[in-house]
Amino acid sequence: MNMEKVRAGFFIILAMTLNFGFFYGDMDSMAYHDKYELLAAIVVNLIATTLKLGDRTQIGSVLLATSLVADIQLIAAATVWTIVAYTSEITPATTVIIVSLSGGALLANIVSVILYVGDTLKSKR
Amino acid sequence: MSNNSLWLILQKLRVPFLVLIIAYTIAIIGLVMLDGVTSDGKPYTMTIFDAFYFITYTATTIGFGETPFAFTYSQRIWVSMIIYLTVIGWFYSVGSIISLLQDKVLIREIAKAKFKKQVKNLQENFLIILGYNATTKRIIEKSLHKGFRVVVIERNEDRVNELMMESYTPIVPILQADIHDPIALEISGIKSKYCKGLVSLFEDDSLNFRIAVTSKIINPKVPLAIKSTTETLTENLTDLGVEIIENPFEIISSQIHLSLNSPSIYQIGKWIYNLDILRKEQFKLPRGLYIVCGYGRMGREIYKVLKENDIEAKFVEINKEKVDSNHKDVTIASSYDMDLLKSLDIEKAAVIIAGTKDDTLNLSLLSTARKINKNIITVARENELENYSIFKYSHIDFIFMPSRILIHKTINAIVNPMSDKFFYLMKSQSEEFGAKLVNELLEKIGESPEVYELFIDAEQANAIKDAILENETIYLGAFSRRREDRTIKNSVKPLLLQRGNKFYLLPDEVMPLKMGDKILFATTRDAIEDIEYIAQNMYELKYVTDNFTNDGMWK
Repeated sequence: MNMEKVRAGFFIILAMTLNFGFFYGDMDSMAYHDKYELLAAIVVNLIATTLKLGDRTQIGSVLLATSLVADIQLIAAATVWTIVAYTSEITPATTVIIVSLSGGALLANIVSVILYVGDTLKSKR
Repeated sequence: MSNNSLWLILQKLRVPFLVLIIAYTIAIIGLVMLDGVTSDGKPYTMTIFDAFYFITYTATTIGFGETPFAFTYSQRIWVSMIIYLTVIGWFYSVGSIISLLQDKVLIREIAKAKFKKQVKNLQENFLIILGYNATTKRIIEKSLHKGFRVVVIERNEDRVNELMMESYTPIVPILQADIHDPIALEISGIKSKYCKGLVSLFEDDSLNFRIAVTSKIINPKVPLAIKSTTETLTENLTDLGVEIIENPFEIISSQIHLSLNSPSIYQIGKWIYNLDILRKEQFKLPRGLYIVCGYGRMGREIYKVLKENDIEAKFVEINKEKVDSNHKDVTIASSYDMDLLKSLDIEKAAVIIAGTKDDTLNLSLLSTARKINKNIITVARENELENYSIFKYSHIDFIFMPSRILIHKTINAIVNPMSDKFFYLMKSQSEEFGAKLVNELLEKIGESPEVYELFIDAEQANAIKDAILENETIYLGAFSRRREDRTIKNSVKPLLLQRGNKFYLLPDEVMPLKMGDKILFATTRDAIEDIEYIAQNMYELKYVTDNFTNDGMWK
């Protein structure tokens, strides 16, 4: 067992599951989407990104890229939410923006997990 | 890999980033969970943004105070704990980023990346020079002056900094690397089509040989200038196909040979190598008894050349290991002093050559010799290349500088290959031939003629190219006329014409030109302009050749 693999795998998959948990539910109702879950998703995504830093292999570079995409989308969602919450009122329209941004991040996270699983399957040991 | 340095930074940033993310997360979660009180006494909890804002300025020690409302004691207890966590985490991260920027490996990687980029952007002819020292410094300066760019590889960091302090224009890219490493050679652009030569003049012969082999494998097309001080190495280098092999001691001995037999040609060589002007009265080494101090690599070469010329010579050496014990012409002495010189019949000697590795010793030997024998011709070897030379002021008749010889030989061979070839061909000519040429040059042009190379192609001689394509015959003599008045001869003397692999020494003026000819002229600065105009401008060409018509002139 390789501790580094466990750690990387754990954070990559946790990033995806948390992201999914936030995304899942009605698109236009904030009741289905918890802000703490978004915070957790952002933090775990950032950790996953950091763990992928400095991997010089081809797969490592692509993993880093997908992770960065997820980070940007999630942070954008949180930023939109914050700005809207403090400057005006949250309407179903802004909820749709926030949730769909996190949906994009989820897609990036899924790609990341697929790549990671594929890489694991490829290795003979 | 192309951007090694980036990966290095990223990899080392992993831990600092993780520390920051985790510290921030813990702090934010704690703040969000704790109950607070508004200024009106109503209960509230911080939003995620409130907590993030507070932590952001607290962790960086900016500290705007307690926002949005004054904290309760439970909040203050939590904050006093997490301040240590976040501030220390932040300092640790900033500290590691800064120490990363000072990391030697990283700095070298960044310098390497910069060097690679500089070399890649070189779209002009350039030379690769290995090692930076007094000798190569002059080569760099001269090459830059002649319009060649230079790339340098040097191992020693201090010397690298020294070169950077010189701030040459245009920039001289320098790489700090071990020259044993073939990758260093490769990234310094040896494969580039603009690379016109590689110069390796190290003291260590085996290192020079190794560089020659590696370079020939990486790119056989690049001409190499390699120093060699032994015959075996010279042979090996010749077998390898090295274009320019520089043995300073052999060059010195051939200079002695020329000075003994054909001083005019020796003087031409000095002029071609930019060491002196042309003179009618040349210095000639006399025949007679020679005393040579030092029987090392240089002494051996001198021995050979003196034997060849049937000159009686006495050699002295203090290092027993350098000499066969039964060598009849070499005396082994314990030290160089007056008694030793006297025992070698210095009163009768014609010439003394001080050829040891020690400059001070050479100077003192010659002054001692001059005290005993006032008429003796003194010849010294000067090893150190300094800006201020005491040798210059010591009235020595003849000074040999192996390092200076290397500089001029390298520059001529790589930057002015035609003049190098010209002198090579001149060396096999007779003294009368040389004397005639010196007289002609002095009469026609002056004491220090300029050397100018012309290549008959579309770029340098467009008018001549057009004329040749129209089947007109242009003679070499066309260049010897003035543009103002074609009846007057210009101060131009063609020295050498190269056509393919054939060389014509002092070509005749009635020789018809062909495309691809390379011509070497001895001329003046003003006449160079005339030559350039005649080669490029069809009206000037028509005027100086006989195809001149009035209406053709101003069309």
